[in-house]
Amino acid sequence: MNNVLDDQLDELYGYIEERCLWQFFSRSWDRQENIDGVLDQAARLLNGKGPARETPMDNLFYADAKILVADLRERFPWLEDAGEEEIRQLCDGLKGRLVDVVITRSKNRELNHHLY
Amino acid sequence: MPMVLLECDKDIPERQRHIFLKTPEDDVRECLPIANVPTIPGSLSERGCAFCGAKLVIGGVLKDTIQMIHGPVGCAYDTWHTKRYPSDNGHFPLKYVWSTDMKEQHIVFGGEKRLEQSIHEAFDEMPDVKRMIVYTTCPTALIGDDVKAVVKKVMKERPDVDIFTVECPGFSGVSQSKGHHVLNIGWINEKVGTAEKEITSEYTINFIGDYNIQGDTFLLQKYWDRLGIQVISHFTGNGTYDDLRCMHQAKLNVVNCARSAGYIANELKKRHGIPRLDIDTWGFNYMAEGIRKVCAFFGIEERGEELIADEYAKWKPQLDWYKERLLGKKMAIWTGGPRLWHWTKSVEDDMGIEVVAMSSKFGHEEDFEKVVARGREGTYYIDDANELEFFEIIDLVKPDVIFTGPRVGELVKKLHIPYINGHAYHNGPYMGFEGFVNMARDIYNATHNPLAYLAGQDIRDPTPLVMPERLREVA
Ligand code: SF4
Repeated sequence: MNNVLDDQLDELYGYIEERCLWQFFSRSWDRQENIDGVLDQAARLLNGKGPARETPMDNLFYADAKILVADLRERFPWLEDAGEEEIRQLCDGLKGRLVDVVITRSKNRELNHHLY
Repeated sequence: MPMVLLECDKDIPERQRHIFLKTPEDDVRECLPIANVPTIPGSLSERGCAFCGAKLVIGGVLKDTIQMIHGPVGCAYDTWHTKRYPSDNGHFPLKYVWSTDMKEQHIVFGGEKRLEQSIHEAFDEMPDVKRMIVYTTCPTALIGDDVKAVVKKVMKERPDVDIFTVECPGFSGVSQSKGHHVLNIGWINEKVGTAEKEITSEYTINFIGDYNIQGDTFLLQKYWDRLGIQVISHFTGNGTYDDLRCMHQAKLNVVNCARSAGYIANELKKRHGIPRLDIDTWGFNYMAEGIRKVCAFFGIEERGEELIADEYAKWKPQLDWYKERLLGKKMAIWTGGPRLWHWTKSVEDDMGIEVVAMSSKFGHEEDFEKVVARGREGTYYIDDANELEFFEIIDLVKPDVIFTGPRVGELVKKLHIPYINGHAYHNGPYMGFEGFVNMARDIYNATHNPLAYLAGQDIRDPTPLVMPERLREVA
């Protein structure tokens, strides 16, 4: 990944880290589900596509993604110029980083308990 | 060195694993205070018992339910009236307390008869009330009273009543947190889905993890009403027993306190397919975001924007007046757990306040992940702090105001540092837009009140301190 993309990723990740409660749900599978769900919807919105709104979970991820995308656009104007491929790379990069921090390397010892 | 061994802990060095200092040099993800583990012997903990987590925090808030506490009278007294949750039916939860008042003879010969008699007596005395939660406590659990059998017998004799049993004696967990868990899981297993209510809107939610502290629920209810959203159940602010049996009917679970009530939201997602949306309800920015998300879920964004615009127009100028005067003030938050991460950024963004130390009594590691992600560098993050640690931390960070409970509050008052009740509030509600102005006002009053300063003066001192300008203005 090039340096510019890396810096951009840092900026977006910094915002999500501080702001978004969905990354910190109780168990690793909930976190994975949220990371994938919200960022897939966010990628669609950033690319100017309509969100998926078939199921209740689609609507949930849309609600989180809509506010996230509005905030990111406001804070990081360079997002306006990002093409489809760049957005895809950014969202994939964000997913990877979030999974790494809040699942793989998380010190939270309850993450993999099979019960709530 | 991000995990800190305080001077006062040199004889209990295990405490180092519970105290974290966020610094720019360290990768914060490499360290997390360990939490939700037993208190270390020798540490004077501020925690409550597991029974308290079930009764005082969640069950006791219900406005139509007798809270029968099967144990000595102290268990009842200690979990009554220390949190201020009013209700719209004459403050039922604040007025009454029930106990089986166990004495030595009941411990020796068993307390089941006593319990049965007490349940009948309570229903007879309050013929309009048909719902009850029975709690076990340490003594009755230890002697092995079969509470569920008694409850079953009474329900057979009185077909018009419904009783829920919480078997969560004080010793069953390391803190209040265990009680939250037992009540959440027990309720979804036994009661959710056993009643249905009339649906009056296509937009339905459960509002989970708000306990109507000084009217928080009343305030938020105005927003839901205006948005046309039907709240199927409040878990449990100003809530009713039967509404909570209908939780399966909602389309969305909106969660405020993820610690005390995240379990039931998770189970509702797993068993009933109802999505869980976590929001923050304290703070302008956060509240607006929460409303926007709920409205986006239902596709009623315009209603949300109108509400937010009106509330901002009404309350933002007042908040800004306080913000100007609170800029740079240093605050410590020593409460249960979630308020650390709910508040640290909202007071910073909306009031210009720096949160310099935070301590949690019953938070889990999940809560510390959240608060470390949101909190400032140079701030201490502490699990299950003890009194000596509080004193040492005060010396290190010199807070202008401390949000904590009345017990620790009395301690810090003696140091002439203003304290605000972080559990039950001083002059709430604190949630929502109006609520955050109340909170700002309480912080302003606390930090600008000359009393704490004057109390610190020894009138015999030949060289008295000079009252700071800020206090002289308001004195
Ligand atoms: S610790 Fe046990 S005896 Fe003490 S208040 Fe809690 S339940 Fe009652």
